[in-house]
Amino acid sequence: MDINLIEFQFFLKLSEKLTAFTSFQLQGTGVAEAYYSTVKNVVGVTIFQELIDTFNKIQTDSDDETSLDKEIRHRILSNSKLGPVARNIIKMWFVGTWYQLPNYWLEKYGVSNSDSTFVVSENAYKEGLLWPTIGAHPMGAKAPGYGTWEDPPKIPTV
Amino acid sequence: MSNDHSKITYTIDHSTASQKVYDVVIVGSGISGSILANEIAKEGFSVLIVEAGPGKDLSLTGYEKLLNTFYTAVTKDNNAPYKSNPNAPMPRSPKVQKARLGHPNTDNYMVQNGPFVTDTSYSRVVGGTTMHWEAKTPRMLPEDFKMRTLFDKGLDWPITYRELQPYYRMAEKEIGVSGNVESQEFKHLDPITKEFSETSLYADNYVYPMHQMPPSYLDKCVAKDINGTTLELDGDKKELKVRSFPQGRNGIPNVEYRKYNNGEVYRPVAAVSSHQAEIGERCQGNNNCTPICPVQAKYDARKTLAKALRTGRVDLLPQTIASKVVVNPENGRVTSIEYKNYKDVNSSEYESGVLKGKIFILAANAIENARLMLASGLKSTSNLMGKNFMDHPYLLCWGLLPENTGTFRGTICTSGISDIRSGHFRRKQAAFAVDIHNDGWGWATGSPYTNLLDIVDNKNKYGTALRKELVSQVSRQLLLAFMVEMLPETSNKISVNPQYRDRLGNMRPVVSFHVPDYSMEGVAYGRELSKQLFQRLGAEDYSIYDPLDYGYVNYNGSGYAIRGGNHIAGTHIMGTSERNSVVNFKQRSWDYDNLFLIGAGSMPTIGTSNTTLTMAAMCFLSAEEVIKDLKKITSKTEIASPIYNSISG
Ligand SMILES: Cc1cc2nc3c(=O)[nH]c(=O)nc-3n(C[C@H](O)[C@H](O)[C@H](O)COP(=O)(O)OP(=O)(O)OC[C@H]3O[C@@H](n4cnc5c(N)ncnc54)[C@H](O)[C@@H]3O)c2cc1C
Ligand code: SF4
Repeated sequence: MDINLIEFQFFLKLSEKLTAFTSFQLQGTGVAEAYYSTVKNVVGVTIFQELIDTFNKIQTDSDDETSLDKEIRHRILSNSKLGPVARNIIKMWFVGTWYQLPNYWLEKYGVSNSDSTFVVSENAYKEGLLWPTIGAHPMGAKAPGYGTWEDPPKIPTV
Repeated sequence: MSNDHSKITYTIDHSTASQKVYDVVIVGSGISGSILANEIAKEGFSVLIVEAGPGKDLSLTGYEKLLNTFYTAVTKDNNAPYKSNPNAPMPRSPKVQKARLGHPNTDNYMVQNGPFVTDTSYSRVVGGTTMHWEAKTPRMLPEDFKMRTLFDKGLDWPITYRELQPYYRMAEKEIGVSGNVESQEFKHLDPITKEFSETSLYADNYVYPMHQMPPSYLDKCVAKDINGTTLELDGDKKELKVRSFPQGRNGIPNVEYRKYNNGEVYRPVAAVSSHQAEIGERCQGNNNCTPICPVQAKYDARKTLAKALRTGRVDLLPQTIASKVVVNPENGRVTSIEYKNYKDVNSSEYESGVLKGKIFILAANAIENARLMLASGLKSTSNLMGKNFMDHPYLLCWGLLPENTGTFRGTICTSGISDIRSGHFRRKQAAFAVDIHNDGWGWATGSPYTNLLDIVDNKNKYGTALRKELVSQVSRQLLLAFMVEMLPETSNKISVNPQYRDRLGNMRPVVSFHVPDYSMEGVAYGRELSKQLFQRLGAEDYSIYDPLDYGYVNYNGSGYAIRGGNHIAGTHIMGTSERNSVVNFKQRSWDYDNLFLIGAGSMPTIGTSNTTLTMAAMCFLSAEEVIKDLKKITSKTEIASPIYNSISG
């Protein structure tokens, strides 16, 4: 995949907003492309494109953070087609798992048989953003070292 | 010990094994079977281990495959690293469902008659259940061996704590325990004077092989408020204190231990068949001891098994299920074990055959030992085979602390409360130990995953708000797990029924189980205590017990969701005669002289200790007996050139 693809860049921008991690941090996980392909594969190119386009328009339309937040809620998160997809992107970033989309969504918009709950990859599990968010590490990976648990957790401020 | 990192290869095929008469045939390669195999082989005798699970996990690549299966498993349950194997199935907790009156629950491998449905589990893989144990290793208390005499409850053991003490030390060396003796010196009863004793549980200024695991930051925060809590229980005054638990994972060797290790400092045992020295050294705080330790800092039975295989006198037959113990009715001796060997976990094809030995040892765990004996038509004179099934009921209590103390850091549990393990109150209610969990509410609620889903799907948060809410919901979590004592009752039992079989036609275990009132009295007291402790901590109590929960038990008007303890025990209890027990204190069957049934199944009571250390101690004692027998019945087999290639590099 050509990661300079404009669409991928927009996917990263959207992910930044949804997760409050910087694009630099997101790319640092090494699984950004895998997530991009996963969403595209499972929801299909058309809906994915619609999500990206909507986000793009929102960005151009909003002139400050407050209106951006409002538009994301109004036009993406509350949208019955795009909302569940956006929420799945958040979950995937935080724990590396793609969760099966809700039944009503699948009935109405589902295109792919590959929609089930699955862990995207071994690395996706290890790179979940939830762990650094709470000053911890994924269970069973990236061990912090002997005795580190004696000290208070280092929870990054956002 | 320069062999530690050498590669182990073991090759024996079934037709070669079938032609031999081994000194000892052992069923099961868990900690019990592996300790016996190693001790016996060290004395020059030949051993065959029959193991139901696949054997590839003895290599580092095999182990890494297990890790990968774990990372990519959607449901990270206790058996998550293991692919399902219908040829040698094992219980899996996510499959457990609520019992319906009069309908046995048959979905899971264990058929459950109820009324209590347990989510207890074990593994059928090389190394057995220690592959995913948590590795807490407290000893039992002297009073635990004398429950009938002291409290008029349960049963007495035919052996005392003091008699078992030297074997406890052997077990602590074998497992490699990190711990602090002082932290275990809480008040306990002297079984003779029946009063609280000042004498040490350990004697001779004993120390553990390695220093205690450092207590977590969470432990220290909790201790600040909980230490000094006083309470009165059946006339005994108690003062609570947070204490560290001894555990079987690699820490920093204690130089004082030299006295107990032939003058040498204890050397932590590294990963099995690894060439990389950095793997398998100190615990790195992966917080994943159950279901699998990524760096092999935690003891698992493959460490003992590898030593046994390196003697060159132990053969291992993986993917081989012992399906029948065959007895000669004329002399009451076991003549052979019938087996079923499958080539592929994905196919039901198998070949069967017969394995011969002089002495037979069943080390398949409490449920599987009883299952195999009953499926072989071998009850016992006492009619107690499979009866007195026990397991620790757990009550979970969870709350949110006022401050971020951090979760999912360090080993799963480093400290807890042990003061209520002992006391005169045990004539009325069960004792318990309390664990402070470093992995938050995970066990109770599926946190942190459930928190994430709730925040995204219900709290409608994303971005910065989501991150803040995650910290607020997860980093303040406290879970106290009350591990409650359970006593033997003959109606709690394992049986078999030809109606229920696995894919290869072996009968599945059928469990009939209820949580006795004695334990529930302890559970109810534990719940009240948790409220008091949460008050002291200024914690918000979030514990709820759903009546629809499969483990829901109603007791005296209140409901509790009970979890299985994974400490299955008591199905072939030891005692003083063939009328009151299945085995003697050396775990020899009363009915079949050359048969030993080993493991926690032999325990007449389980007190408030996780069972494995005590079972390992019992295994060292049994090993001496088996070796004595073998020396009597056979001149030592010649020490032939090792069958295994155990060359370094
Ligand atoms: C999640 C979890 C956490 C635990 N934590 C602790 C803890 O902190 N402290 C503690 O003390 N204990 C703990 N335990 C319990 C501990 O793991 C067991 O007590 C211990 O591993 C039992 O050892 P064993 O050798 O007797 O049996 P197992 O380890 O169960 O080994 C039996 C072996 O026999 C094999 N087998 C079974 N049937 C057959 C057959 N028919 N033919 C051939 N082979 C067969 C199995 O495949 C297995 O390899 C925990 C258990 C679980 C599940
Ligand atoms: S905390 Fe981690 S490194 Fe330590 S024993 Fe457990 S899984 Fe292994």
